[in-house]
Amino acid sequence: MSEAANPVSPEGPGGTMDHLDEMTCLLYAERQLDRARAQAVSAHTQDCAACRTLLRALDRESRLLTRAMLEEDEPLPSRIAEFQERARKSFGWIWGVVLGLAATGVYALYTGFVEPAEQRLEQAGFGGTSLLSLLVFQGAFWKGWQSVITLLEVLAMLTVAGFGLVVFRKRLRRGSALALVLAGLCAALVLPSPAGATEFRKAPTVEVRQDETIKGDIYLSGERVRIEGTVEGDVFVAGKDVDIDGHVTGDVIAGCQSMRIRGRVDGNLRAAGNNGIISGSVGRSVTWFGDSVTVDSTGKVGETVSMFGGNLAVDGQVGRDILFFGHEVGVNGTILGGIWERGDSLIIASTGQVGGRIQYKGDHEASVSPGAKLTSPVEFVQRERKSEYTTGHYYIWRIIWTAAFVLLGLVLYLLLPKFASDAVAAGERVGAPIGLGVLIFFGVPIAAILACVTVVGLPLGLLTFGLWFLAINCAELVVGTVVGNWIFGRTADTWGLIGRMAAGFVIVRIVYTPIAPLHVIGALVALGIWIWGIGAISLALYKRLQPKSPSSSIAGPFPPVPLPQSTTVGGI
Amino acid sequence: MSVPGMTETTEAVARARAGDAEAWGELYRDFAPAIFRFCRRALPTREDAEDATMEIFMKLRDKLSQYDETRSFSAWLYRVAANHCWDILRRRKIRQDKETEDVEDVPLEHPDPSQLDKLIEQKTSEEVRQALHKLGARARMALVLRYYSDMSYDEIADELGVRRAFVGVVLLRARHELRQALEGKSALAAGGTS
Repeated sequence: MSEAANPVSPEGPGGTMDHLDEMTCLLYAERQLDRARAQAVSAHTQDCAACRTLLRALDRESRLLTRAMLEEDEPLPSRIAEFQERARKSFGWIWGVVLGLAATGVYALYTGFVEPAEQRLEQAGFGGTSLLSLLVFQGAFWKGWQSVITLLEVLAMLTVAGFGLVVFRKRLRRGSALALVLAGLCAALVLPSPAGATEFRKAPTVEVRQDETIKGDIYLSGERVRIEGTVEGDVFVAGKDVDIDGHVTGDVIAGCQSMRIRGRVDGNLRAAGNNGIISGSVGRSVTWFGDSVTVDSTGKVGETVSMFGGNLAVDGQVGRDILFFGHEVGVNGTILGGIWERGDSLIIASTGQVGGRIQYKGDHEASVSPGAKLTSPVEFVQRERKSEYTTGHYYIWRIIWTAAFVLLGLVLYLLLPKFASDAVAAGERVGAPIGLGVLIFFGVPIAAILACVTVVGLPLGLLTFGLWFLAINCAELVVGTVVGNWIFGRTADTWGLIGRMAAGFVIVRIVYTPIAPLHVIGALVALGIWIWGIGAISLALYKRLQPKSPSSSIAGPFPPVPLPQSTTVGGI
Repeated sequence: MSVPGMTETTEAVARARAGDAEAWGELYRDFAPAIFRFCRRALPTREDAEDATMEIFMKLRDKLSQYDETRSFSAWLYRVAANHCWDILRRRKIRQDKETEDVEDVPLEHPDPSQLDKLIEQKTSEEVRQALHKLGARARMALVLRYYSDMSYDEIADELGVRRAFVGVVLLRARHELRQALEGKSALAAGGTS
């Protein structure tokens, strides 16, 4: 650059004429010099043929560049020419077919599933509110099993949220949209938080002493948990043996091996466990997932007993109905309401009393002792063992679910196009995602359960489990897109990817449907798809979480180097 | 900034903003060829250019609401395209190629005008296009922004993230690189006097 600062003498050391440097000429040719400088250059070129030639050459060079760049040297690729049309077509196809099917599905789900379930729940003493209001206003995942969100509800909520975001996408930046979703999730997690003071206790043996009164909710975790005092709130308990001899004014939510209630629970008992014995009283309803429940001769349940799995023995009193899915119900005591059972057997002893209808669908006829007091005879329906795969109903649902998943995929791909593209690219490698998928598929739920057991890690465990569950549901979409890419070729645009996802997903479903009834093979194929997809999603996530190399070294502006002096009208 | 070969379609833009799919199609048909060519010049491969063109138009759907109707649509569209292409190049880190060299090495003295004239005379548009693809990403992008999109020095400075006063240096160095690529000799690029 030092040379450039000096005027150039084309006529040699003894020459008389200095010349403009090239930078000055270029800036002049591009009309970037100020008026005074431009006039000086103009004056110089009147007398200097070499500089005039250079100016002309630079100008010709500019025109050559423009001409070379603007020339239509190659036809517009058909991919681009057809892109608009394809996007429009794929849009119409997806929205037309999928929305139609989804609307039908939602209607069918509501009339065929949600409504009857609501009625059933009402029978079971969950009040007259709708599922939605239960979900929104009672909100708590904790407060009752009725609030547990089913797959349908998750899909529906995600879809509605997704639609909302797509509709308002012009007003929302992607960051805002994600923030909104995260805020919503956080709000959902916050909902169950109790309003009062909450206490945590964790030890091998945990107890609430007889003289102790806990004001507010309490979380208890230990091998042996004993409540002899009073809890003026809800009890959340995880342990091997749980004894409640005291008084709980709220609900008891439990996960345990065995539970014995000799005291008094004013609210509901919701539990998953091996054995439960109620010798005391439960003011409202009992819901139990597990092997056996016994309401002792001294035991009393104020409202309904709902049980899923194993055996139920009622020797004491149940204020309302029995709702039962499992093996056997034995009645020696009093049920003021009715019995609704799907099971293997129903035995009503001579001391048994049932105040309502008895609807029993099972393998064997009910055994009713002659001394039993029933207000109406048992309505028995022999259970038919018929494969669901032979019914048209099954295939209609397959179509509805396929449409719903495509819809979910569409929303997710529109919200996270880059991530979707990364996940599909990862899925195409097959080996790596399957390897990682095995680890994630089996490892994450175990980790989530371990986190839940620690109680303090409960929110983290539930969140992890929720994300794992979401990933499982998205796995098939990723695999479908990979299959779509194999068939139709890769694409980078989002709508192309969505089209391939829809087509590939449908193909996977069509291929899988006849395999599904083949029990072991069907299960293995489904497992393979899940593992493959979840592995691809995990790889994409891993890639996202990798630290990026600092961009300043490559993207930053040039160092502040001043223009050389010769860029002025040097030498004049 | 005016762009040769591109027509201003204010009405179509307004209708597209209102959600008219046909208007959107019109815009696509009018501008896709030019944007593809822009991407073709700025990016290393044809596949990159195809992908980028479609991505730019997908992006455009979301960004159309941000467009200021008082300004030229084509100019605005080129800004979007330039941002997108530059983003792609930045992500690939290929800007490292010659950008970190000491700019003081750039020869800015008087080249031999007759030799330069001869070179320009001899080379065809096709050869220039081939040579363009041998340039570093920043040099190529600078030339494309200036001589294809007809962007001002201010706009180029903004796009490339350099000071406005430095744009001339970037362009001149790009021309020198181009001459080197065209000629395969260093004499012209290095300047030199007769």
